[in-house]
Amino acid sequence: MSIAESSFHYVADLVRRETSMLYEQGKEYLVEARLLPLAREAGDSDVDVYVSRLMTDAAERRKAIDALTINETSWFRDNAPYQAFTDVLLPQAIAARQATRKISIWSAACSSGQEAYSLSMLLDQHLPLGWTAEILATDVSTAMLGRVKAGRYSQVEMNRGLPATHLVRYFTRVGSEWEVSADLRRIVTTQHLNLATTFPPLPTFDIVFLRNVLIYFDLDTKRDILRRVHARVAPGGSLLLGSSETTLDLTDSWEREAVGRVQVHRPVPAAGAFGLTAPTRAAV
Amino acid sequence: MILEGPTYTDLHAVVDEVWSAFLGPEDPLLPALPDTGLGDGVTWSAATSVTGAWNGVVTVEIPDVVAQTATERMLGLAPGEDLSTEDVADAVGELVNMIGGNVKSLMPGPSALSLPLVARGTIASPSDLTEVSCLDLTWAGSPLRVSVLARRDVPARATDKQESA
Amino acid sequence: MHALIIDDSRAMRSILRRIVTDLGYDTTEAEHGQAALDHMEGGLVPDLCLIDWNMPVMDGYQFVQRVRDDPRWRDVTLMMVTTESEHGQIVRALAAGAHEYVIKPFTPDAIVDKLELLGLLVAEVPA
Repeated sequence: MSIAESSFHYVADLVRRETSMLYEQGKEYLVEARLLPLAREAGDSDVDVYVSRLMTDAAERRKAIDALTINETSWFRDNAPYQAFTDVLLPQAIAARQATRKISIWSAACSSGQEAYSLSMLLDQHLPLGWTAEILATDVSTAMLGRVKAGRYSQVEMNRGLPATHLVRYFTRVGSEWEVSADLRRIVTTQHLNLATTFPPLPTFDIVFLRNVLIYFDLDTKRDILRRVHARVAPGGSLLLGSSETTLDLTDSWEREAVGRVQVHRPVPAAGAFGLTAPTRAAV
Repeated sequence: MILEGPTYTDLHAVVDEVWSAFLGPEDPLLPALPDTGLGDGVTWSAATSVTGAWNGVVTVEIPDVVAQTATERMLGLAPGEDLSTEDVADAVGELVNMIGGNVKSLMPGPSALSLPLVARGTIASPSDLTEVSCLDLTWAGSPLRVSVLARRDVPARATDKQESA
Repeated sequence: MHALIIDDSRAMRSILRRIVTDLGYDTTEAEHGQAALDHMEGGLVPDLCLIDWNMPVMDGYQFVQRVRDDPRWRDVTLMMVTTESEHGQIVRALAAGAHEYVIKPFTPDAIVDKLELLGLLVAEVPA
């Protein structure tokens, strides 16, 4: 049994319209795998029946879009970006923020929050005494933002890349799940944000993690996102992308620097604005 | 006295994780219809007990077809390959071990988990056990049941009302 | 690279064997801690031990203590793979000298992630 072509097109169009994410031909199996549990839950015999339900049921459409925009995610995913964060990016941000003693980080397309909380653990370990930090976690899925706020993870999720020493230090068991400590939850705030459209008012950030999400967008949308993210990275700040992602042909606005095994992207100041100006900081 | 057991939601989450991790995510566990029992066919039963701060037994009952499929998938064999009774008992025992260990973590600790006991047929529960949670599910069209029984290890006190400081 | 897989369940040993074999490991299996120690006393020095907790004869916790007490085996990486999932049990195992801890049930990715953390990924892992 596999999803009918017409159902796949409907779903692909829906997701593209709502989030600009692309489900191209060949990804039928992925659509089916993500919608089948919802179809079963709704009591539908297969995914095609469920897709016809989506055409008339807006609440169910929301759930389907949430399910289709989930990134599989693990703690300290790929490791190297976190190594770069600890060894280079955080020390640089600390050097740049001696006046305010505050570090500001954006975890864009945060999904269920493993990236944001992985970063919060590193801040707990490496931020000097008397400093504060804030991690803004944003996602297009309100369901995912709810999960980030709750900070609860299943046993299977906990096993994915979280060092056991961190598990015992930062988590407690709550029923069948594990809950991240209140101290770490205080560092992480959430906000709904669709990368593909105009951003809501945002501060500038010392470090931005925008990993493994550009791959879902078409080329024009990617460029557009990178332009808008550019304005949100503080002068001298850093942007990290997924290992297969680049700043494309936007060589005038981003310069690359190898840090360990990862490429860090630095915003090139716009002409005329060169020189170190204090970043403006809007309220979150 | 009220015997403590895991909530339905927590027990379901535990069983669901074990099933989807080792038997594949494509066949979801679904709640059984109210009137479906385990059927009349051959059944496998497995039990593991928890002793310590919480005392009880976790049991899994599955029909032969589920036991066979579980064993094939865990051993990485093609469907229909010959399986020994020992292989099936081992796989079913590992399922109850994983569910039992996670149920233990849902309850007050510390406690110890026994090695699993597996039988073809049913395992009679001792009379000092009372069922505190039960999941009736279907998987790939077959029924299965997971139960948690708690032991009345402390004789009911004459007065177990207030605790004063 | 060599992994010693210690679990009383043949099905679980088979699952773990397939995961680490795909990562380029050779494997030896033992059905309890004492059988694993016998292999090591016989000259096997694995790079990695995957260790269940609840087993007959000698459990995984005792096995970790025995291996950590012996300088011959100080370079062996010890990873618990067990259904024991209480916070206190994980703390105990780490204090006894286990390097990592995977809670059953797990997906193959979980083992891969942990081996990457431990610097023990030897083969190219397909995405």
